[in-house]
Amino acid sequence: MDTLLKLSWVFLKIGTFSFGGGIVIIPLVETEVVMKYAWLTKREFIDAVTLGQITPGPVVISATFIGYKVYGILGAIVATVSVILPSFVIICLVTEAIRKFKENKVLANFFRGARAAVIGMIFEAGLSIGKSSLIDFKTIFIAGIALICLLKYKLNPVWVLLGAGIVGLVS
Amino acid sequence: MEQDIKKQANELYSRGLLVFNQPITKERLKLVTELWQRALELYRKVGDERKAREIEKTLVNLYKRNSAKREEKERQREKQQDNIPIEFASWDLFFKIGCFGFGGPMAVFSLLENELVSRKKILSHEDFLEGAVLGDILPGPVTMDIVTYAGYKLKKWSGATISTVVFILPSFILMIILAILYNKYIVTPRVETIFKCLGAAVTGLIISVGLKLGEKEIKDYPAAGIFVWAFTSSLIFKFDILTVVGLAGIAGTLLYTIGAAEKNNSP
Repeated sequence: MDTLLKLSWVFLKIGTFSFGGGIVIIPLVETEVVMKYAWLTKREFIDAVTLGQITPGPVVISATFIGYKVYGILGAIVATVSVILPSFVIICLVTEAIRKFKENKVLANFFRGARAAVIGMIFEAGLSIGKSSLIDFKTIFIAGIALICLLKYKLNPVWVLLGAGIVGLVS
Repeated sequence: MEQDIKKQANELYSRGLLVFNQPITKERLKLVTELWQRALELYRKVGDERKAREIEKTLVNLYKRNSAKREEKERQREKQQDNIPIEFASWDLFFKIGCFGFGGPMAVFSLLENELVSRKKILSHEDFLEGAVLGDILPGPVTMDIVTYAGYKLKKWSGATISTVVFILPSFILMIILAILYNKYIVTPRVETIFKCLGAAVTGLIISVGLKLGEKEIKDYPAAGIFVWAFTSSLIFKFDILTVVGLAGIAGTLLYTIGAAEKNNSP
């Protein structure tokens, strides 16, 4: 029980401070899980993060793996819920607050500017992912086909991803 | 003459009573009201106030009971609507995205845009981008934040809970399976080639979403300026998301507020 409480506390903390999500939180998790509580060895921790990237969900799902290592299925559930809960509650509260202040001109203008920035960052993400994954003729070909399928033929991206995965599997 | 009318009224009333004593349906109820109304008019005509008032009372009671029933029904329907979070068809898409989000947060982001905005039209593109802004500013992975945000927009807390749980479930189950396998064999699957090809497809996916959203959102000089600035500053200077989005928001506040003020000053 004591371990479960500690587990929950650690992941609540991580969930609260995981701004931006993804890789940003990895050092934070490492300090707590490997250095402070020694629940996992360094090697196991790296594997946990790798497995977290294999699953379709966000990397924080590594919490499930760590929770399982520490306290079985129950630990996995506690860790996952704890890591999700803070951002879940905050998002809901803020969405409600924004809905109330929707008429506010200053807030509307803030979001107008921020929306444009998000699009800029989408292109930046495309470029940086492209730089590391478009490495030979085959991958450039896949990216080109994907772009055409999506823009011209409005294909559901699920199929595009599935197709690319299968190509990767058989080649 | 008067006697005839009275007789007619009595007949109408008893006919209504006959219908009323049968099992009530909507049509019968309508017929009864009609008959009694006519009887009421006739009684009034001949000046039999006692009978007329009697019938009037019954009619009013009938009407009250009827409308009470209707209100009750409506209340129940509303309650049901609150309990059933839209159609199930719209919730399984969060599950679908949870299953196919391979290839990192940006892939999920693009899938979400495609499903929520382009196909199902559950959110407008402004709402979607607003969710992305919140996801960037607030803690938690951006994709999960957008999923929670979309769920909340649809059905408040219950919607947010369902969308988030359904979205995370596939990964959770897969992770448990992987953890069990890992405990037994201590191996991590080799997935590099698959990831390489997925990465390529994701690149295409991201660019297509960027083009789609950009076309709708970037319509004036301030937006274009912020767009270019955000792109270059995250690419070259590697500013973190929080800084880029926060500064862009402040820039938007200043530029658009000043723009509106100038427009007001020059008629």
